[in-house]
Amino acid sequence: MDLQNLNPSSLKSRFTARFLRALTEINAPKTISSSSPREIFQRYRRIKVAADKSMAYSVRSRRIWSRATLWRLRTRSRSRRLVSFGRRASVKTRTTASHGKENKEHHGAVLGVQAEELRELVPGGEAMDLCNLLDETAHYIKCLTTQGFCVYMGGLLCEGCC
Amino acid sequence: MTSENDDMGLAMSSISMFNKSSNTSDSFFSSCWDPIVSQSGSLGGSSMASHYHLVMENQGISGTSHVSHYQSDPSFVELVSKLTGFDGGNLSQMVGPFSLPQCNQVANRRCPPNFTLNTEGGNERGSTNSLRFLDEHRISKEALVGTSPNGKIRKCAPESGSPLRSCKNGDEEPVMDLSSEGCDGPREQARKKPETEQNTGANSRGKQAVKQDKDSSQSEEAPKENYIHVRARRGQATNSHSLAERVRREKISERMRLLQELVPGCNKITGKAVMLDEIINYVQSLQQQVEFLSMKLATVNPEINLDLDRILSKDILHQRSGSAAVLGLGPGSNSPYGFSPSTFPGTISGIPNKNPQFPPLPQTVLENELLNLFQMGFSGSTMDGFGLNGIHRSKQSYIF
Repeated sequence: MDLQNLNPSSLKSRFTARFLRALTEINAPKTISSSSPREIFQRYRRIKVAADKSMAYSVRSRRIWSRATLWRLRTRSRSRRLVSFGRRASVKTRTTASHGKENKEHHGAVLGVQAEELRELVPGGEAMDLCNLLDETAHYIKCLTTQGFCVYMGGLLCEGCC
Repeated sequence: MTSENDDMGLAMSSISMFNKSSNTSDSFFSSCWDPIVSQSGSLGGSSMASHYHLVMENQGISGTSHVSHYQSDPSFVELVSKLTGFDGGNLSQMVGPFSLPQCNQVANRRCPPNFTLNTEGGNERGSTNSLRFLDEHRISKEALVGTSPNGKIRKCAPESGSPLRSCKNGDEEPVMDLSSEGCDGPREQARKKPETEQNTGANSRGKQAVKQDKDSSQSEEAPKENYIHVRARRGQATNSHSLAERVRREKISERMRLLQELVPGCNKITGKAVMLDEIINYVQSLQQQVEFLSMKLATVNPEINLDLDRILSKDILHQRSGSAAVLGLGPGSNSPYGFSPSTFPGTISGIPNKNPQFPPLPQTVLENELLNLFQMGFSGSTMDGFGLNGIHRSKQSYIF
């Protein structure tokens, strides 16, 4: 564990660096403390997106779930800005979903229900057979724990420093 | 004595036969056989038939470990020398060491007991013994199989015409003996190539390999092809579909085992369905945890200072030193959120779910709960405490 802490290129350090950068960006314009629920909610969403994005970027494209997350984030931001791209995005989701369903029928016979639930949980899981899905789940769990830990520590330190 | 000599003669002749028949096999085997031939002469007093087959290797511990090719001649010669030193005892004695944990240990130690040997002479007896051996180890086969990505077991058919070979579970340092029962006369040396696990071509090749006849030469593919040879187990269908199914099932169960280690509290769970349920719950709670923590950050954050970047990263990365400092800071500095560690477990369940309309109150209480969890987790290694212990405890006490 100690080695992992000191490793400058570990998942934790990569994620933390990115996340902190995103955090400062989010908080920089808000010098006036706005405690209205709406503002807080907006900030919450931005922080959550920043966390997911930092995690996905830390993993790059090595994993299916990270690619799916990045793609999802990009299309969401794109669809918000440009309506025309939204149509393309929806088409894409449809194709991946259908492809995933075919795979599901073919492979997921034994543990269909839970496998489907897992697919919904893990980003990009719709288009994977059970074998790869379990692989991705293992890596995803590892990254989720890292993410949660870093966000938590960031929160602790923030409130400790305020 | 004469029987032993006959055995030796038989062995030598069988080896020579094999050498002749394996003209088309790669040079590796022919070169490997030479030390055997040279050594078998010196086998002398030990009445061991020389069935040699190469086994698949495995790192033995992690399921996703890479697998290495069978190794070079010198190691093989070492094995042979050990073989000679092993005074053929009972087959039962040799059977003993083949339980899984011993295999795991032995794989690193290169002990002689790893060898499967037919001490009895004679073709039929040898093969029957190995068959019995096979049956006994069917039970431990699952475990054995689990430690390597492809448990490929071979049929040891009692064929009367088969040349004598000794079943040896060769074991070098990286080698974990898989097919300990593997003793089949005519054919199979299944070799596992590196990086073969994901190869879908593996199954098709494997099926072909099973259907092939006694030519061991044909069963050895060129070393460059990346696929897994699959052999039908004794008493199971050799249908290509069922073989592929079995490979797939083994892969899945191996991955489930890995996940079992990741998810806390799943050591005693047997069964894929329950395990999957646990995994789903765990992933859900992890995602909710991240959401909750980011919500917490959203409420706390406006005061964050740009200069704290470095401090933050250092503290997060060097968690042990940071944790103490942080926990010391937290309770001390934060007046708006009164820290009352005694409030919660009863109150948590009544708190609605991250409703942004009243953040301060639920934040406080849950925050303290989290702190408690973290303090618990920090006793060990921090990351583990965060992910595993924390979540495990939290599941019982409240629902997010």
